[in-house]
Amino acid sequence: MIVTTPKPLDEILDYIAQYTNILIVGCDGCTQPPRGLREAKTLGQLLELAGKLRNKDFNFKVTTAAKQCDNYLAASMLKPQINDAEAVLSLACGIGVQTLAEVFPDVPIFPAQNTHFMGAEDREGGILEERCAGCGDCLLAATGGICPIARCSKGLLNGACGGSKEGKCELNPERDCAWCLIYENLKKQDKLQLLKEFHPPRDYQLSGWRVTT
Amino acid sequence: MTEPATQEVAALRQNEDYCSSCSICSSLCPYEALKKDVETGRITLDITKCQVCGLCYSNCPASAIDILYYDLDSLIKYLERAKQEYASDTLVIMCRGSAPDTAGVEEIFGVSKFIPLLVPCVGRIPDEIYLNALLMGIGKINVLACDEDYCRFDRGSSVTARKIIALNLLLGQFGYEQEVITLKRHSLKVKADANLCIACGNCVFYCPYDAARLESPGGINFDLAACRGCGLCVAMCPAVALELENWEKDRISALITRLAPEMKPPKILVFRCQWATFPLLDEEPSPNVRFIDLPCAARVDNFHILEAFQKGINGVLIAACSEEDCKQNRASGKTQHSMTALSKRLSQIGFQERLHFCSVSPRYPEELDKELEQFSQTIKAIGLKESNL
Repeated sequence: MIVTTPKPLDEILDYIAQYTNILIVGCDGCTQPPRGLREAKTLGQLLELAGKLRNKDFNFKVTTAAKQCDNYLAASMLKPQINDAEAVLSLACGIGVQTLAEVFPDVPIFPAQNTHFMGAEDREGGILEERCAGCGDCLLAATGGICPIARCSKGLLNGACGGSKEGKCELNPERDCAWCLIYENLKKQDKLQLLKEFHPPRDYQLSGWRVTT
Repeated sequence: MTEPATQEVAALRQNEDYCSSCSICSSLCPYEALKKDVETGRITLDITKCQVCGLCYSNCPASAIDILYYDLDSLIKYLERAKQEYASDTLVIMCRGSAPDTAGVEEIFGVSKFIPLLVPCVGRIPDEIYLNALLMGIGKINVLACDEDYCRFDRGSSVTARKIIALNLLLGQFGYEQEVITLKRHSLKVKADANLCIACGNCVFYCPYDAARLESPGGINFDLAACRGCGLCVAMCPAVALELENWEKDRISALITRLAPEMKPPKILVFRCQWATFPLLDEEPSPNVRFIDLPCAARVDNFHILEAFQKGINGVLIAACSEEDCKQNRASGKTQHSMTALSKRLSQIGFQERLHFCSVSPRYPEELDKELEQFSQTIKAIGLKESNL
């Protein structure tokens, strides 16, 4: 899932200060927790309260889209509502915000969130961590299902750096050493011989900027 | 640990002078708060374990248990008052946890005019109340209990069933019509709107009872037999696709809309878990304070807190059970977590002090009063600060 965090309300208020009729668009897509109708309504309520403190009456409408990053869906789901709005606050990731800006070039579209990475949530603690760096050349088959590019601070491809201490990273003692995890997992699966395979330096072109379906 | 300066007043007290050590209370107590001491043979009360269900009180043959809430006197006084107020001779005794609205009662019992009596567990109603009600001229008593495996007090619902069978047999011998006391069961559960569901699976994670299942394809499915109606999934659903029967969003909103204008500033709205604090039958709150009872603090919804602020409420207090006391499998802990998150966002607009989450228990009735008093001071101080601006 794509990991986002809400922007500070002050920052959002600065974006929308000059507008009154604003549409808040949730996104039911890939963020965790999904920033759907609930978050859209909650944000509207918070901004309305904040506006009152600044002697500003906003008129928020809230809606949600299945996936803001799908330009076809975004157009069909949001067109009638966006036409009435002076500005749009998007609760999508950066991709959804850009898609809306592309589909509705006449309306200012503002991000209500910061987008961090592709990651997963340890739900108990409410912590989200990066899991995939989108390298375009997945090597999880050789690393026991643990990505060293996204999860090793140094992105090393051929084993631990030597700074690993009790399973933690030398750069951040809170962070698990990805290569320790890889070693443990491969050991469990009796596949430690995979560690002897050499991975040549990453081809950054594979990540690319465009692919064709 | 040092002893607190003033001893907390407990809602339940054992009067050892009357106790005959018959052990009925200890065999009924769902929480092992009352136990027979093997050495002395006496019954001992550990108030820290007590959840104030009142089963011991209503079943003690020696009247050796004193209870603060819904004791014989206050129940009789209530019945006398309510009989006039509701001008009816039908009494409906309901467990708070399963009580529907008037229309719901009509659907279940076929009566539209009745005297309602809401208690934390129908199992705690002493036999004397049934008999007194009949003596007062009440002609029909309907009892609405939770489903047996849904009872938050473990045995309350089954105790009620046995009690009513025995009472009906007894009353039959006196010439009363068959089943002058009717028992029905009802439990309030989650309702999912498949059209709004986005299949995110949040409810699957949050449900304390594994009642939610997400299938692909197939979407969300609730096992209603497992659902215990805490409302945590409803408050956490990102798509607003869930409702809890009797505690629907619109119904709570309507309540806030009605209560806000009748309050005097500083206005404090309390969302209280129905198990965290038991209102007295003659409760008359101060003009500054109004209560909204919820099935569990887990049903507290960000929408309603923010809506209260929007409607001019100055402070919102959440009165929950502690995680250990929670009748809904520690759901209150999840709520505390989400209230902390909301509080962080409120701090961005300077509202963080206006929301307060506290854990209280009916075993110490003064706990909520103290929290409320302290919170009122905070809210008053904010008001003064703002008027000085």
